[in-house]
Amino acid sequence: MDRETVEKVARSAHLKLTEEELERFSRDLGDILGYFTILDEAPDCEGFGIDPIGVADVLRDDEPRIELEPDAMLEGMDTYDNYVRGPRLL
Amino acid sequence: MKIGLEVHVQLPTRSKLFCPCPTTDAPAPNTHVCPVCLGLPGARPMMNGKAIEYGILLAKMLGCTVRDTTWFARKIYFYPDNAKNFQITQYDRPLGEGGVYYLNGKKPIRITRIHIEEDPGKIKRVGDLSSLVDYNRSGIPLAEIVTEPDLSTPAEAREFLGQLIRDIRYTIDLPDDGERSIRCDCNLSVGTERCEVKNVTGLRNVERALTYEMVRQTKLLKAGGKVVRETRRFDEERGVTISVRKKEMEADYGYIDEPDLGIFNVKELADSLKIKESPHNMIIRLTKEYGIDDKTAKQFVSTSVDLAKLFEDLAAATDAETARTWTSGAVSAGWRAFEARGGTDASEVVNIVRKFVDGEITDTECGLRIKAFLAGTDIDSVSAGSADLDAMISQYLDENPSVIEDYRKNEKTANRVIGHVMKQTGGAHSSADIVDATKRLIGERL
Amino acid sequence: MSQSSVLSSLSKINEKYLMFRTVTSQTDAGDAKFLFSAKDNLTSKDMETCSGSRILEGYRPPFDATSIAKMREAGGLLIGKTNMDEFGFGTFSTNSAFGVPRNPYDLERSCGGSSGGAACAAAVMEGHVAIGVSTGGSICCPASFCGVYGIVPTYGRVSRYGLLDYGNSLDKIGIISSNASDLGKYVAIMAGADPKDPTSCVQPAIGSRRKLKSVAVPVDATEGVSEDVKKAFKDGLEGLKSMGVDVQKVEMSTLKYAIPAYYVIATSEASTNLARYCGMRYGHQDGDLSLKFDDYFTSFRSQYFGEEAKRRILLGTFTRMVGFRDRYYSKARNVRQSIIEEYRSVLSGCDAVLTPTMPFVSPKFSDISKMTPVESYKADILTGPPNIAGMPHASVPCGYDRDGMPIGMQFVANHWDEGVLFSAAEEWEKNFDAVRPEVSI
Repeated sequence: MDRETVEKVARSAHLKLTEEELERFSRDLGDILGYFTILDEAPDCEGFGIDPIGVADVLRDDEPRIELEPDAMLEGMDTYDNYVRGPRLL
Repeated sequence: MKIGLEVHVQLPTRSKLFCPCPTTDAPAPNTHVCPVCLGLPGARPMMNGKAIEYGILLAKMLGCTVRDTTWFARKIYFYPDNAKNFQITQYDRPLGEGGVYYLNGKKPIRITRIHIEEDPGKIKRVGDLSSLVDYNRSGIPLAEIVTEPDLSTPAEAREFLGQLIRDIRYTIDLPDDGERSIRCDCNLSVGTERCEVKNVTGLRNVERALTYEMVRQTKLLKAGGKVVRETRRFDEERGVTISVRKKEMEADYGYIDEPDLGIFNVKELADSLKIKESPHNMIIRLTKEYGIDDKTAKQFVSTSVDLAKLFEDLAAATDAETARTWTSGAVSAGWRAFEARGGTDASEVVNIVRKFVDGEITDTECGLRIKAFLAGTDIDSVSAGSADLDAMISQYLDENPSVIEDYRKNEKTANRVIGHVMKQTGGAHSSADIVDATKRLIGERL
Repeated sequence: MSQSSVLSSLSKINEKYLMFRTVTSQTDAGDAKFLFSAKDNLTSKDMETCSGSRILEGYRPPFDATSIAKMREAGGLLIGKTNMDEFGFGTFSTNSAFGVPRNPYDLERSCGGSSGGAACAAAVMEGHVAIGVSTGGSICCPASFCGVYGIVPTYGRVSRYGLLDYGNSLDKIGIISSNASDLGKYVAIMAGADPKDPTSCVQPAIGSRRKLKSVAVPVDATEGVSEDVKKAFKDGLEGLKSMGVDVQKVEMSTLKYAIPAYYVIATSEASTNLARYCGMRYGHQDGDLSLKFDDYFTSFRSQYFGEEAKRRILLGTFTRMVGFRDRYYSKARNVRQSIIEEYRSVLSGCDAVLTPTMPFVSPKFSDISKMTPVESYKADILTGPPNIAGMPHASVPCGYDRDGMPIGMQFVANHWDEGVLFSAAEEWEKNFDAVRPEVSI
């Protein structure tokens, strides 16, 4: 796969690659996609499933419920004043 | 000029879209959260059936086609308020497509699609320090309604939104704001290129943002420049739209279908759900069917849909004009009292008016009986009170005969009488009663 | 080994084989009816859960995975979380950030992957039942390499609540053990509809056991397979025939598309599942908060993800991109449907499809390090097809190569038909002379 595409994909995936990684992955991905070309000749099939077993119409009632104490979940997080801290926006 | 809108409205479910966390009255940030809406590793979504119902009702209200099956997709973008760094929304198979919505009953605005998706969390802006995120909002169900660029002016867009929201409120019992809010992405093109202003909250800001954008694009073109197709955001304080960094616009969302939810066969449900006639459509229908004017119809429907229905019952039992007179008069006057006492069935009013039409009772008696019924009291106390009122008004008219003449030219003259009586009675009678009685007594003297 | 001896020798055992990431500090089995381990991509409240990745180092989940909770409810004691390839990305467990588990038959060879630690634990501690997870072959591959029994139930049979996702339409939780009867026993405990995982809510009851009467072997099942594996598989077929099982040959033309389609779907889904690991909310949260969010996320992820994780994220991001999505993601989904249909058609005429489990015995670590990504992906050539189709399948040991390395064969049954697999494994065990690894600590 060409370098430019790998860089574009990496940006989209929020990965920063070293020079060495860029070269290595370009090669690897090129090989892998080459292997994938066999898919182009696979015959088409009626419809496509989202999963192998046909999961359909699984719904739950609109009943509000708190099952786990929110504090238990916030415990492992970087918080401030009960807000979860994250990187800056601007 | 072309304007298209992507309207986001929160659906009034009691629990979130994919988890049972409550949707209202969170006591503090991050208190209505769970592994699912926090995107904890290993947690996965569970579909709220009520949200699908609401979505279908809205799809039908907008005249959209609901397909046999619908399913969900992942939209990937990295942002601190996005718990999983992807949003579960709909892509290939939205809930409804290809509808049309009539602005003021006349102008068709085409609805491209309506789909359901989850709201992200909320970020508390802290300048250029770290962001602080509250995930209480994360996972609340949204309906996204996308229109074709059929709107022509910012004012029209605002009108469209106002009407749309009133109808949505009625169709799915959306409470009158507070925690629910409506957000829009606005698309506007003066020439050939369009710009998108993202995430504008509230009708007033939509009009402001679109107006600014319209002026900006017009100026640019007049000066011989080109409008660059881009994404912008609206700065509420300064009232201007600002270009966001080009990089953000290039995001490839990389949609895949959401395997954890499966598909939903909604045709049967869609066929079985009946939507309530929207107030807007009812107003149009009343003017057409009963020949009443737009203003009267609006007054009936906005007072109460039940009152408008009573009007229809009266019209069926007698005729449109009789129904209009009594509904505009005694029924409207006494309606607040009726609602205050928790009244639900006003069919007795039809019986009373029938008696008047058949000549069994006089019109005064009819008015009194209607008033008594609506207030939940007996006729005597009503007539006593109204007799006092009548006396007071009659006295004023005796003392000020010019009022009658002035009234012939300008109906607003009645306000003089009403103002006087209100001062005199100091709230003993409802303003509706005073208005009704004044008009009746003046009318007798014309 | 008795329960208490297992507990008391856990750390020593682990020092030698590196099959556990975390072990319990309990020394007394107490009331426990049985001991079990769980692959480290299943959340456990009392033990760190890392999914083989540094990005989740130190993460203590606030809830148990449903499969673990059910085992505990049934009287099981969780003795540890087993070592694995990072997020399930691998066939040899060499992509773990926390050491590589060693094959009990030969310490210089791989246990297989990605549930390498689980299979090793099952092989070394007899009677120990290990929970594993399979996406493209991660239960049967290590089971085959470690000479034990492994079963992957139908997709959707066991709730995935608490499973750190690799591919949501492919992940399945199953059992690895040196006792064939453990397969049916413990799948039954973990199975069942769980509202917290909608995909587990459409399953019919597990069919009752029924005797395996016929198997179909695809005509190219042994193509490209090593000589030792060919021989052991042949012995396996003879063994089945002597058990009264009818063996047929069958054409299955879609199977050659299984691995490419599997990798496209799996990496597409995985790249979205891994988006959440960005230095916020769990695991390491020690990034430089003065960085703008895009840079913060990027630097953090680049620092903590391993090489194979990065490769698969890149691949799966590409296959979803505008302009490529139709050719890769949509096409692969379509191909999956045709594989499912072919299996269904074949299985309407026999009880199970049979192939060797892996195309070779467990390779030496030195050989693995020379493999290209495509070569290691191709190792899944036989386990890939039932996995992409969501078919239940089981691996049983059927022979050993000249160096004594185990070789397995794999039965594939129709959706929801685990019953025939349970009985096939149990019947096979009665007639098979297993060679246990020498365990000296």
